[in-house]
Amino acid sequence: MARKVEDILDNCLERMFKGESIEDCLKNYPERASELEPLLKASAAFIRKSAAIQPAPELKARTRSQLQELLYAKREKKREKIPIWHRKWAVAMTTVLVIAFAGIGIVVASTNALPDEPFYPIKLAAEQVRLSLTFSDMDKGRLNIQFAERRVEEIAEMARQGKNDKIPVLVEQVANHLDKVYLAEKTREIERKGPKVLVPPPSAPPPLPSDGGAEDYSVVGGYPEGLMIILNESRARSLNTLKGALEEAPLAAKPNLQQAIEDIKGDYDVTLFNLERVSSQ
Amino acid sequence: MSIEKDVVSRAIKGDGEAFAQLYGEHFDKIYRYVYLRLGNQAEAEDLTQEVFVKALEAIGSYKWRSLPFASWLFRIAHNQVIDYSRKESKAEKVALENDVASFDEPNPEVIAEREFEIEELVDNIKKLPPAQREVISLRFGAELSIAEVAKALGKSPGTIKALQYNGIVALRKITLGER
Repeated sequence: MARKVEDILDNCLERMFKGESIEDCLKNYPERASELEPLLKASAAFIRKSAAIQPAPELKARTRSQLQELLYAKREKKREKIPIWHRKWAVAMTTVLVIAFAGIGIVVASTNALPDEPFYPIKLAAEQVRLSLTFSDMDKGRLNIQFAERRVEEIAEMARQGKNDKIPVLVEQVANHLDKVYLAEKTREIERKGPKVLVPPPSAPPPLPSDGGAEDYSVVGGYPEGLMIILNESRARSLNTLKGALEEAPLAAKPNLQQAIEDIKGDYDVTLFNLERVSSQ
Repeated sequence: MSIEKDVVSRAIKGDGEAFAQLYGEHFDKIYRYVYLRLGNQAEAEDLTQEVFVKALEAIGSYKWRSLPFASWLFRIAHNQVIDYSRKESKAEKVALENDVASFDEPNPEVIAEREFEIEELVDNIKKLPPAQREVISLRFGAELSIAEVAKALGKSPGTIKALQYNGIVALRKITLGER
């Protein structure tokens, strides 16, 4: 029985979504080519025009910030129900397990691991342990900035190697670390004043500071002002790292990396703006 | 367990990074779908945010067996669009100037051409019957598969393929008539 034209059209569309050309598909259906060709050409134009519709990076950053806030509030509610000795016990056990399974040497060796390398999960686990064993908001913020910058370095290296697929996930992780920089203070503010959504302004992001020197996460000033200084320096270093990688990356990796730069720039700006708001209240 | 299933099940348990991963994966597609349905940037931005807030609130009750995750998410988006359209019955057309993110596009002519094409596409899609408009937006805007569209809209795959075919034929006629 002859296949319905709807089925054939859909089969060709699926193949086009995967990167095949119209001609490739028509070769399989020569008897229907004259009927299908104009429809497939029109479809290709719709696909191309639809793909040009892109949300502004600020919208993505703003929504992510709002969602992180909701998630954090949810998590804090849950945490309040867990007795404090349970939490401390969990942290201690995690530390012992990571060291027992990985060994201190491997933990150290994993520091430069990339997302597609076997030691990478150990690197992330070690970071989580460090965060779990850090108690002040200032130190937690400092560590999150440091880890955000590590993700940025990983993005740069993955892009240089032309490994595009991990970049979006790493960009999300940068955003997650940066969100955590100010979430603790924000939650205190919510508790003080009731629910309120902090959103960045539509324009006037904080000015780009002069390029920072070597990686330095030492504490300057109090909380959150000190974090803003560290964050500004980290922003400059991260953007430099990514722009450097953009020049060296293969052509195929450049669009993803360009998008990553826009997103990460937006994430830093939103975090700086929110910290600034917190510090001025 | 597939990677997506694993991520979804972690998000259901309240894992923020897993939810962020799902957000990163679907945000652009949801925005594109809402934009094609409403044809307005400000409304598309508001509604896209609302879709993800609703998804976050409801993800604890999501069951993989009854619906693929993308279909579940787009069903939320679909319902949001329907609710919004009901409220905004007047559906006034707003100019699309500055509607498209410019990124680092160097050439103003390219930007203008792209904005014109998007405006034309949105206007033409609006002329389709509602069911075809829905299917075309989900297929071309959100790039959902036929099976995912069928689940999201509660229709059979055969019906979706027929709506897609008729939608493409009609949209092509409208586009050629415009020129």
